[in-house]
Amino acid sequence: MARSFFIAIAAVPLAFASASAQVANPGAPAAAPRVDYALTNVRIVTAPGKVIERGTVVTRDGRIAAVGANVRIPAGVVTLDLNGHSVYAGLIDAATSVGLPTVMRPLATAASGGTGGGGGPGGGGGGPQAGRGVALGRASAAAAPVVYPELEANAEAADLFAPTDAQLKAFRSAGITSVGLVFDGGLFPGRIGAALTGAHDGSGLSLRTSVGQQVAFGRNRGGYPGTGIGAVSFVMQSYLDAQYEARVEQAFKAGTPGARPSNDPFRRSLIAAATSAMPSWFIASSEREIVRVSEIASELSLKNPVVVGAVEGWRAIPHLKKMGATALVSLRYPTPETVTGRTFLAIGSGKSGVAPPATAADTAEVRGNAAALVKAGIPVAFASFGSEGTYRERIRQAIGAGLSADDALRAATVTPAALLDITAAVGTIETGKLANLVVVSGNDLFAATPIKHVFVEGRLY
Amino acid sequence: MRYSVKLCIGLLCVPGVLAAQDIAIRNATLITIANGDVVGNIVVRGGKIAAVGPNATIPGGIRVIDGTGKFVMPGIIDAHSHAALEGGINEGSESVTPEVQVQVRNDDPTIYRALAGGTTSALLLHGSANTIGGQSRVIKMRWGAPVDSMYFEGAFRIVKFALGENVTRASSTAPEDQRRFPMSRMGVEFTVNYWFQKAKEYDAEWKAYRASARGNTNAIMPRRDLRLEALVDILNGDLKIHAHSYRGDEILMLIRVAEENGFQVHTFQHVLEGYKVADEIARHGAMASTFADNWAYKAEAWDAIPYNMALMSERGVVVSVNSDSNERIRRLYQEAGIGVRYGNMDVNEALKMVTLNPARQLGVDKMVGTLETGKDADIAVYSAHPFAPDAMVEYTLVDGKVLFDRSEASTLRKQVNAQTQGGSR
Repeated sequence: MARSFFIAIAAVPLAFASASAQVANPGAPAAAPRVDYALTNVRIVTAPGKVIERGTVVTRDGRIAAVGANVRIPAGVVTLDLNGHSVYAGLIDAATSVGLPTVMRPLATAASGGTGGGGGPGGGGGGPQAGRGVALGRASAAAAPVVYPELEANAEAADLFAPTDAQLKAFRSAGITSVGLVFDGGLFPGRIGAALTGAHDGSGLSLRTSVGQQVAFGRNRGGYPGTGIGAVSFVMQSYLDAQYEARVEQAFKAGTPGARPSNDPFRRSLIAAATSAMPSWFIASSEREIVRVSEIASELSLKNPVVVGAVEGWRAIPHLKKMGATALVSLRYPTPETVTGRTFLAIGSGKSGVAPPATAADTAEVRGNAAALVKAGIPVAFASFGSEGTYRERIRQAIGAGLSADDALRAATVTPAALLDITAAVGTIETGKLANLVVVSGNDLFAATPIKHVFVEGRLY
Repeated sequence: MRYSVKLCIGLLCVPGVLAAQDIAIRNATLITIANGDVVGNIVVRGGKIAAVGPNATIPGGIRVIDGTGKFVMPGIIDAHSHAALEGGINEGSESVTPEVQVQVRNDDPTIYRALAGGTTSALLLHGSANTIGGQSRVIKMRWGAPVDSMYFEGAFRIVKFALGENVTRASSTAPEDQRRFPMSRMGVEFTVNYWFQKAKEYDAEWKAYRASARGNTNAIMPRRDLRLEALVDILNGDLKIHAHSYRGDEILMLIRVAEENGFQVHTFQHVLEGYKVADEIARHGAMASTFADNWAYKAEAWDAIPYNMALMSERGVVVSVNSDSNERIRRLYQEAGIGVRYGNMDVNEALKMVTLNPARQLGVDKMVGTLETGKDADIAVYSAHPFAPDAMVEYTLVDGKVLFDRSEASTLRKQVNAQTQGGSR
């Protein structure tokens, strides 16, 4: 069941031009007539390490119609002579929460505040914590249905993506033409998606849903788990319950006597992740958090998890390798106090509690993280986590700390595209892919020079 | 050692000090705990004690610390600490959470301070808000090592239980409809009985499955329940109970409930009225880890006396004295001395309360707790006898590595100051 579900999703043609009701902006003007372009006399970096020194890229209907050194320019296109410039595939920010609802948003349906133990999403006590303590506790008073947004395992980030024009512009100004959508907080806040950063014009932004199951280790208000240590146990038990549910479903289909699937939507929604049909995206940044995820993945036999954050990935390389994980490296650097070992320094200096400057954690270790991970053979994708304004600057620092320019480009295009399962549409400059392009003067995408042009789905910004 | 390559925590790199090395301490008073006090040498090779005593020969080419006038004792073991944890101490949302596991934080400065007081291992316990709390962790103070290298390999798996006020009052200030069962001592007793009954049913379900699964393709593997699995582990003796307790009556209650349900209370923690029920504790086969002279901070701690350690020891209970404090963890050797002042304990028996006895309570007595050939080289060098009021720890070794050296502490502090005052970042 889980596998066929996954294949079905993957087989859906990427219908980018079709409108998506959830993200269409009803107030936006009708789509302007599409303009096609020819970018001529330009240095083309089609993929990491693959360069056409002087050539042409032609777009048509939002896609790349032709790319090469000797391309015939069709009639009716706008020609941009980009002598002295380079064009790259649009950058991909592998994880951002910009444009997503806050997970811990106020609960309109729980105004009574009665959030006693038990009761999963959908009310009716469906979650794995249902029943725990209930037998011994007093019965909950009748109350309005309780919603736990931190436990919406089947919420789709791409469906909920509703950025403002200013937010989209901020991405494009950084050369970012598509994004991975990761919730900020929660416990099982939902599923990872992917979207474009073009303006609202009725064409829709969503690229992909159900990319991965996010596990964020937050707390559950008013019940179990109430702590980080409880969250780890809760995550383990929830996956075990889903694995059990998968066994029962299979037995039910085989006609096994006594096998009957549960009516627990929370449990069902985790089956794909618990059976590794959908990757699990674990929020884990510090060395300790990564080690913990490694223990969970091992106990649950999860294949190829994504470690989201991975700021101290360089400290936990053996664990990342053992898991077969992709490191989604945050370029939003930690505050110094949260870097392993620095608490001692802060206290030892008698300056405990004094907020250091924001740039203080720009340490060699943090900058060199990506280089160390790539060197160890761990796939790396860069993520801004809301710091898109410094995305290119931080990548430049990573290059300064030993990452090759090709590996940097890979971590900002090809690898996140693969991770988000949108390789067929974006990540390289190839005929048929979306015309997501970034033009810079000179050769270096990550140089401290302004971006000249950004195209999202063929539209020039 | 696998953690030796990653010994820098942040900027805390002290080349040479942290590296594994063979080392000897010569001409010191060796408080062996196992074989009395002798003046002699102790030789450390490959992280283990290779030779100890007056005739121990120091091989050439290794580092030698002159121990003349100094005292060498096994590293102190703290059987009750909540230092170096993160993600919460109490999963207090429910009263039975043995599936929860405490999370160690390897860069807590308390680890370094503990080393400065000669403490080399500790039991990091879940809190006492729950009748059946979470699983705890025995660590070695391997300051500078990655988190999973801090775990003390081969130690017991230990779970926290709690009795009395901390449990019953855990949710007493919450709104009425959010209060948590149990809220009385009667409720605590019932909770333990209730959950072990559930655990037995769960165990029976799995045993039935395992029996029927042979040749039966229709058998569906049951749901794994991590909470009940942990309780079954207790019944099987694979998970040891350390039970927070104060009053004699509650101690007797848990012993009775344990014997009725067929499990063992491994160690009573705090156990301030242990002197009233020492015979019953000993008969059950439980051990005791207590405070030296800390009492009257709440009603149920009113009847504590400083003679508790000595009185329980006399009745055959294996007693340790613990810190439960990031401050006392630096001077547990002084806490042990209180047993000599109050109760006239033998000096060696008193020192056992911070070495061999807690090692037994944590299941690590084969590896640490005495100065004997073959044991881990977890050792502290004191400037005077540990019970002398001016005694200070000069060196602390874990697995043969000098992780605290008082002569370098001031240099380290200067380095820290220099680094945190900007510039180098």
